[in-house]
Amino acid sequence: MMESRLDALELEHIALRRGLPDSIAQAIGRMVARPGLSESRRVEVLEEMIAHFEDGLAAGRSAEQLLAEFGEADLAASTAAPFPLPRLGDRFVSRFLRDLRYAARRLVASPGFTLIAILSLALGIGATTTVFGLINAIILRRSPIRDVRDVVNVYESTTGFPFNAFSYPDYKDFERGTSQVFSQVAATRYTFAQSMKDGLPARAVGELVTGSYFPLLGIRPEIGRLLGPEDDISPGGHPVVVLDNRYWKRAFGGARSVVGTSIDLNGRAYTIVGVVTPEYEGNIRGLVPDFYAPIMMVNQLNPGNSDDLQSRGNHGLFVKARLRPGVTLATATGAAGGVSAQLKQTLPDNWRGADTFTLVPTRQVILHPELDGVLYPAAGLLFTVVGLVLLVVCANLASFLLARAVDRRKEIAVRLALGATRGRLVSQLLTETLLLGVIGGAGGLGFAAILGKTLTSANLPLPLPITLELGLDLRALVFATVVSVAAGILFGLLPALRASNPHLATTLRDESAGGGGRGRLALRHGLVMAQVAVSLVLLVAAGLFLRSLGSIGAVDPGFGRDPSGLLQLTFPPAKYPKAQRLLAQRALSARIRELPGVVSVGIIDNLPLNLLNESDVEVNAPGVLPPAGSTGFTADVAVVDTGYFGAAGIRILRGRDFLATDADSAPRVIIINEALANKLWPGQEAVGKQLTTSNKPKDRAYEVVGVVATTKIRSIGEDPRTGVYFPLAQANALGVWYLARTTGDAEALAPAMLRTAQAMDPEIIIVEARTMARHLEVIRLPMRLAALVIGALAALAVALSGIGLYGTVRYAVAQRTREVGIRLALGADTRAMVRLLMGGGLRLVVWGSAVGLVIALILARLVSRLLFGVPALDPVTFVAVPLLLVTVAGVAAWLPARRVIRVAPTEALRSEV
Amino acid sequence: MRIERELMRGAGPVTVLRLLKQREMYGYELVQALSQRTDGVLAMGQSTLYPLLYSLEAKGLVTGAVRAAPSGRKRKYYALTAKGRIRLKAEQAQWKRLLGAMASLGLIEPSRSER
Repeated sequence: MMESRLDALELEHIALRRGLPDSIAQAIGRMVARPGLSESRRVEVLEEMIAHFEDGLAAGRSAEQLLAEFGEADLAASTAAPFPLPRLGDRFVSRFLRDLRYAARRLVASPGFTLIAILSLALGIGATTTVFGLINAIILRRSPIRDVRDVVNVYESTTGFPFNAFSYPDYKDFERGTSQVFSQVAATRYTFAQSMKDGLPARAVGELVTGSYFPLLGIRPEIGRLLGPEDDISPGGHPVVVLDNRYWKRAFGGARSVVGTSIDLNGRAYTIVGVVTPEYEGNIRGLVPDFYAPIMMVNQLNPGNSDDLQSRGNHGLFVKARLRPGVTLATATGAAGGVSAQLKQTLPDNWRGADTFTLVPTRQVILHPELDGVLYPAAGLLFTVVGLVLLVVCANLASFLLARAVDRRKEIAVRLALGATRGRLVSQLLTETLLLGVIGGAGGLGFAAILGKTLTSANLPLPLPITLELGLDLRALVFATVVSVAAGILFGLLPALRASNPHLATTLRDESAGGGGRGRLALRHGLVMAQVAVSLVLLVAAGLFLRSLGSIGAVDPGFGRDPSGLLQLTFPPAKYPKAQRLLAQRALSARIRELPGVVSVGIIDNLPLNLLNESDVEVNAPGVLPPAGSTGFTADVAVVDTGYFGAAGIRILRGRDFLATDADSAPRVIIINEALANKLWPGQEAVGKQLTTSNKPKDRAYEVVGVVATTKIRSIGEDPRTGVYFPLAQANALGVWYLARTTGDAEALAPAMLRTAQAMDPEIIIVEARTMARHLEVIRLPMRLAALVIGALAALAVALSGIGLYGTVRYAVAQRTREVGIRLALGADTRAMVRLLMGGGLRLVVWGSAVGLVIALILARLVSRLLFGVPALDPVTFVAVPLLLVTVAGVAAWLPARRVIRVAPTEALRSEV
Repeated sequence: MRIERELMRGAGPVTVLRLLKQREMYGYELVQALSQRTDGVLAMGQSTLYPLLYSLEAKGLVTGAVRAAPSGRKRKYYALTAKGRIRLKAEQAQWKRLLGAMASLGLIEPSRSER
């Protein structure tokens, strides 16, 4: 049976409370705690000892004298031992320090509870802080832009797509037409370039900016200078770069001597003129460039099929503008509308219908107005989930403390009897939980730091490297502290209030091991039910995302099912004009085909599901009416060579593949997918028909020579999209993907393809080499992350609830040990007894599950937007999850019940002392 | 000068009973009285005094009652019981005989013990 005596610590603490010096309080604690005294007697002796020393001190004796006179030299000697405490004049502070010291000793005295508490708090606070860190890094980050309230983001909007990027000529027209309302207009775009480092090519991310960009932002250089109007004059004539602060430190060790030296980008030397301050992290959060170069170098650093500085069709520029003093957003929007109206008149081919400019204050944009719409619910969901886990942690600890409060009720009763106020008691009990909270919080920060590192260094299958500053900044530290303290109060306050309830003073007389009172029991039961409910909600969420992940995995993208390697590259246009480029592309194809295990090789300029490159054309066929309200059928477009369909495993349903004879000089041919064939010529043979496209020359007719199976093109969840394929020999493709199907190991093939390309010509600009499997992972990534994160948190919550339930049942059955023993002695059936003992716990689980189910049903509808291929009220999830939970709960309740059955017969004889 | 523990064990009870015969006292009063009235000779370590008090109380020779002291604080006052008076008388008699015997051996001066 559990002893519930006042131990030396508690006695000492009572003495401290009465204002006695530490040395005396400690001596009293040790003396009075000596065995052989009954509980009530102990209180009397304690009281008398306190009186004795009070009188001694009042008579002007020193603590040392009194202790020496008392006659136990060893007591006096040991007074300064374990926790030296400075004597502070401030009563409040010294009282707090005493509480703290007492709390620390109490925690050390019950290491099991302390460890579980700190561990679960660390996990809960760590997870919460990590999510806060993410939100802090993405959503709450302060803009480095000077006077950001005067800055707006400008987008081109067309019907259905309100937030498009600019083309360079559009940007120039916009800048000229709005000089009355904007003091500065600037544009930037991201690009990849190949940098040479120690003779090895490496991929570098860059931002190409107009001369007005850095002046508009008001950013300062760390060293050297930034780019300005003088770098924005002649196309191709400004080979200068500014380094990003992080890249400068990473690649150049932060050497100040780097200014004036040069780096090699895409085979050309660029002079480093400066380094930007660390506050600037690129135009889009999370995408930190390595370097900044003038937009005038766009055709050199981002070689494309057309001149980016001339083409109205290349939309890649993000535009910002600074309002002139006194100009409102409405006035500026009006001026922008004037520019778009004029463009519609002068450029009717490019500017049509409702096309216009959209102005959004920069402060209101996080990543991109459209992405932000998903970002907020996702952040909300994640924060809710970790918040719920923390809540379970707190509920769990609260019920632990309630159980302990029963064991401590005599100590508390004594304190109350000795005149401690309830407020003092509560504050002392809270000190203990606050200490736990703070230690747990410190552990949580460590956990968050590790988690943050893991997250930022995770090799995610994304087309762009994501860089987030998840370092724990001041804001995250403040957040973690607040959460820790709040948690300490949250799980400590109720038990403390309960424990210090003055009505419990009666327990001083009640020495028998009775229950903890109905109210306390109801509270503990409520807490267990709450934990079960929250766990169920989290499990349902995890189940829904797991099922979504399963549905996504089951979707056939329509290409790349077999193991294959991918190599994305660009032949530098200066070295490879169109005719040579085609030869070189074919030559590389042939070399890759010779690699061991390779079955077939194909080339495509716009790999499906690449998330970055989305281009489409309008298609018309003679005698076929376009959809109402439009001028043609929209179709996604790609340029492929003769090997692509074979390598990608895309079936040719009718007609033929492209052939070597489909040369530039031969008649123009096109292959369409089944979705387009069904739209243009439903029920008819498409092969042999003619069609025209919006590509120039517009009146050129293409003969459909084949129809291929429809693949997923932009997203895995899309309805079949219409698509057309042009032959490589008759089109123009600079940046391409090589796709090589293999019978061997794709993981080994991808680097081999990279080496093959570099061996052929080191100046080939490599973007990336990876496997098809990894490419396809991108589309599963958000779901996989969601399932993983929510699943892990749900598992944590379930484990905690299991522990909580175990503790509750264990406590409840321990109270009945004697009863059980007697019943068993009288011949009760063991199994029936186990069922009886488990029953109470299981009832809590059933009620908790019921509450959780109702909440889950409501919440599931809210996250349905984030699910895939699974209804929000998925019957499988909603049946399996409660079953799983009840199973876990059953075990948690069965273990202590069985234990009691085992020990009961002997305990029954002993428990009556 | 301090008295040896074994001797104090014998002298302690009668000393305390004697002091309490005059008036009720609480712990620290007893400590002071013992120290002052015996010139420190019988200033027993209080780690001995309190257990002694408890044992006297357990034997019913003294009773303790918590009352407010003149300072206003609550103190446990010890008083002699009827049983305690009888025991004191018996002990006094024993001590007298013992001291008389010791005096006759020339170990102590009889006049001092007469006072």
